[in-house]
Amino acid sequence: MIQTGLIQNVHGDLVTDACYDFYGLRLATCSLDQRIKVWQLDENNTWNVEDDWKAHDAAVSKLSWAHPEFGSIIASASFDRTVKIWEQSTAQADAQQSNNVNGSAQIHVPITSRWIERAVLSDAKGTVRAVEFVPHHFGLKLATISTDNMLRIYECVEQPSLVSWQLTEELDVLSIAAGPSPGYLSRAHTMALATPTQTSATLEGASATLVAQALQQSQNAAAGTPNSQARAGLGNREADGGWCLSWCKDKYWGEVIAAGCGTTGVIKIIQINARRSSTLLTLSSSPTTDASTSSSTHVGTTDPTDSRTSSSSASTYAITSVAWAPSCGRSYHLVATGGRDGHVRIWKVKPGSEDIDTENVAMGMSTGESESDDSKWTAVAVADFDQHKSAVGRVEWNITGTILSSAGNDGRIRLWKATSGNVWRPAGSVGVEQTEEPTQPNSKDVDMDA
Amino acid sequence: MGTDYLNLVPHLVEAGKFQDFVNAGQTLSSVLSPLDNSLAIYATNLNPPTADDGHTLEDEQSLYIASLDNAPSSGRRLFLTDTLQIFTTMRQLKQDATSKVIHWTSDSEILIHIRKLSIDYSNFIESHWVDASTPALPPETSSSQSSSEHFRKLYTCFSLFVCLFLPEPGDERAPVGETLMVWLNTHFIEPSTEEGVQLSALDRPWEDELFWPYLTRAILRGLSKASVFFLGVLEKHPSEKLQTITSTLIPLVESQPSLVDFKAESDFAFAFRRWREKVKALRIDMDRVPEVDRSDGFDNWWDKLSDIVGILEGRHDVIQRICEDMGADWKEVCVAWCTFVDPRMRRDELFEVAASVIADMPPDPTDPEDMLHASLFTANHTETLHHAHQLDSWLSAHLADIMEFIDLIDSTVDEESEISIRDHYVLSYADHLHSDPALWRVTVDYMYSCGEIGQKRADEVLLRVPLKLHQQNSNLMVDSRIRAGDIVGVLKDVNKTCFEYKREHVRRTVCRIAAQTLVSEKDYGLAVSYCTSAEDWRGLARIVDRVLDEYITSGPRKFTQYALAIAPSVQELRLQSAIQGVFVHRLIFAVRYARFHELVDKQEYEDAAADLLAIFIEDVAPTSWWAVVLCDATKLLRYTPVALFPSSGASLLLQKLEEIFVRTSQGASDDYLAVLIRVLGCRGEKEALERLKTVRLALAQYFSRSLVSGLGRG
Repeated sequence: MIQTGLIQNVHGDLVTDACYDFYGLRLATCSLDQRIKVWQLDENNTWNVEDDWKAHDAAVSKLSWAHPEFGSIIASASFDRTVKIWEQSTAQADAQQSNNVNGSAQIHVPITSRWIERAVLSDAKGTVRAVEFVPHHFGLKLATISTDNMLRIYECVEQPSLVSWQLTEELDVLSIAAGPSPGYLSRAHTMALATPTQTSATLEGASATLVAQALQQSQNAAAGTPNSQARAGLGNREADGGWCLSWCKDKYWGEVIAAGCGTTGVIKIIQINARRSSTLLTLSSSPTTDASTSSSTHVGTTDPTDSRTSSSSASTYAITSVAWAPSCGRSYHLVATGGRDGHVRIWKVKPGSEDIDTENVAMGMSTGESESDDSKWTAVAVADFDQHKSAVGRVEWNITGTILSSAGNDGRIRLWKATSGNVWRPAGSVGVEQTEEPTQPNSKDVDMDA
Repeated sequence: MGTDYLNLVPHLVEAGKFQDFVNAGQTLSSVLSPLDNSLAIYATNLNPPTADDGHTLEDEQSLYIASLDNAPSSGRRLFLTDTLQIFTTMRQLKQDATSKVIHWTSDSEILIHIRKLSIDYSNFIESHWVDASTPALPPETSSSQSSSEHFRKLYTCFSLFVCLFLPEPGDERAPVGETLMVWLNTHFIEPSTEEGVQLSALDRPWEDELFWPYLTRAILRGLSKASVFFLGVLEKHPSEKLQTITSTLIPLVESQPSLVDFKAESDFAFAFRRWREKVKALRIDMDRVPEVDRSDGFDNWWDKLSDIVGILEGRHDVIQRICEDMGADWKEVCVAWCTFVDPRMRRDELFEVAASVIADMPPDPTDPEDMLHASLFTANHTETLHHAHQLDSWLSAHLADIMEFIDLIDSTVDEESEISIRDHYVLSYADHLHSDPALWRVTVDYMYSCGEIGQKRADEVLLRVPLKLHQQNSNLMVDSRIRAGDIVGVLKDVNKTCFEYKREHVRRTVCRIAAQTLVSEKDYGLAVSYCTSAEDWRGLARIVDRVLDEYITSGPRKFTQYALAIAPSVQELRLQSAIQGVFVHRLIFAVRYARFHELVDKQEYEDAAADLLAIFIEDVAPTSWWAVVLCDATKLLRYTPVALFPSSGASLLLQKLEEIFVRTSQGASDDYLAVLIRVLGCRGEKEALERLKTVRLALAQYFSRSLVSGLGRG
């Protein structure tokens, strides 16, 4: 690993998200300062700010670039409960278009920006925590997830103008019905317990210290806020929960998304279907959870806005981040999760047999185990890392699905790669602490005897 | 290669104090770049902000960029692209081989080629090593992958691999000792030349402490010239016994049989046995020297000489002890073993012997080069690739490629990873290449040489090659070439690569992106060509909509200019009857309507009127545009010098006009008036209808004029 650059004075406040465009030549950043900036890489390998505008009325939480075949488009999610669609416009088009575009969105062009607000999606009843455009072969669509535990799918219905977006799906992640596999829960969970070689022995100890840490942190956070009592109810839930999503990049399986919300500690793999969207599989990261508590078919009865029931269970930790690797020709998928339990997990997700249709799916629920195993999606954790020893805030794959990165509260960004035996191993780490000695021992992070 | 544990500068927190940072509500996050193996790292909020969070941090927020690999230096880059040529030839050879015979390891012709190409690799490494050693170049750090030290390591490993696993055809079962001795003496020179020079300057060199070790090492390394020279020096030694023995020993050292001097291995073996008998005779002579004469008062010369004779006798206990005493490693023992202990030792026998030597004298586990040599000597191919990968992913990739070719490693696909061992290492190398975006061609070449997984990964890289369309279009020369239908620059390269590897879906996506970029720059003509090339009809439809939109936003003149730019493509598309759809009508409408405006501009009213009518006759206009076109007819209807429309044509216009009025009254005004409302910039339906009434009036006047004057044509 080597440091190759530094951009100073990125934002006036903490950066909440950064997102590269399709080519990696531009970087969009957003911040607690409610602004979005777009940086461009020049020929001398330096990043220059290209645009900078106030995007929302609260902190911006996440950004996503649309595929370039649709143009230069960014979606931004915010704590102001909205998602906005921004389009970069060529300078000459600006003046004319801003006068003429009609539609639901109010058009105002910030002077400093060539990015035009094309649409505001304001269906969320909570802060919007994640947004991601669907893989381009499914059209110009996006998914959002907010603290009301709703997964929303929008489709652009007027493509050149981008002003009109239809809410095509609104799914309560906690209660969405199970899909083709009734046996998926037990299978997924037993397999999740059979994790490879890693750290299961130290898990209990680690969890205990994490609880203490988490408590301490929330106290600190509360103490640091002037109006701490007011935020205790919702604030803790928002602080302890995790709302995340990631699309399956493959065209073959249709629109499939991994999503998690709140403090349930599970990720649901959901098939988006115009007739009936359903849960294909649940990834449960917490070995101590029994199948019924995280069962997607039952949790629907609890009020999704009341998180105290689930957060009171000390055994579940929120999943803060999920990342679906590009499968790149593999017959299975890799889905990475990171959570407040300090673990980075890689799940090997095997799709069911090819001829599942949703009619049989519904039947399969009643016929139970009689359905052949081949038709069910299954998952097994192929890696489980606790090197961060503290909550993990983000996991992400590279474009070929060969490198996984994770960010933890230990102050390190860790990288993971598969060895020739397909065993996932640490592949270096980066931090921001002052270096004690000029040379650090290599062995500190990397297991050399792979 | 960089370090695996990096701390960024300027630091955000003091060592070990990250928890303070977390307590203050901050943590770290990152994002991976699709461009290369880099990631952006930034401090972020730990908890969601609350509504009453009025705070702003005073601290300046920084964003760090770090990369997994150093981008290759120019020297390294040259090496990587040079060796791609050999790799490509090797792939070609493999393709030919697999199509010709089923099991081709026995086919010595192919092996000759593989050997030749492998020696080419070796020679390339050597020449880059020499270049990197040139003092004129700025010194690189020793860990750098372009340092001479790095190339030296690659050279020792690659040439050893060739020595052991790619013998000349026919030599597979020949003794390996001499080949290995050449390898050892080339790469690990002992004893040093300086010592030799120093000793040769002395009158009584045997009194120097370096003398005996030097001589013993020279014998052990089969350096007969140096050995004979210093044995000759001993003829001046005061001890007569020593002189006698030396005089027997010198011809023995000089006459040690060498494999290259024999046509048949059996002749070599016979000669060696006879030579060995002479050595044994010498031992008997030596043993007769009385104990008292074995020392010169300065040193026990007999012991030293006995060691030398022990080597020549091929006593492995002696060889191992000597090596240990001299600080020589397992390599030296192994090579001496197959030179002196068992000079007929074949490659397959060496692996076992090496394993037992290594059990006694293990290699240095912290030195990948040494570990790699050891795994090569013991033919442990999995280990070899593992250590090669630690040294340089280039080495493991190219070794694995050859190893699979010559059946050293299993070519079957691993059940878990779904790739073969070779593909794993080749793809790992390609990942490393991806750290330099400029090397994208090399990166995808390696990826496409792998199975389906490699190809899909290559697709992802290829799709993201920056097209740099902006830079192209700023160049007028290039621009005109594009207009002439040429695809130029990076896009051309990407297209070519797609054709080469039959990645049509990648090519189409790239064309779609190019078209989109061009649309945003209002280069509609070129955008249409790319869309057509990608057979992206939906995209094409969008372009037509954009062009039509130009009429609304920029007026007829701009619209005409843009629409005429796409006219040539329309001609082509109309010829392809297979392409159907509403968008084709729209495209024709856009072009025809543009031509109409052009004709009006040129005051060629008769032709303009004909075109306007054709729009309705051919029914190519979307209903939303009828009103706009009809409004344009007003001017022509009121043209008095001649009547421009036949009465049937005027009737058609009236018919369309009435349809609009009727449908609008039925509530379909959005379908019929939306565009007109936008064009007029008016508030709503009412104004638009007022405007259409003027068209009706113009039509009525036209009919009456036609009746009165009988001028109507038709």
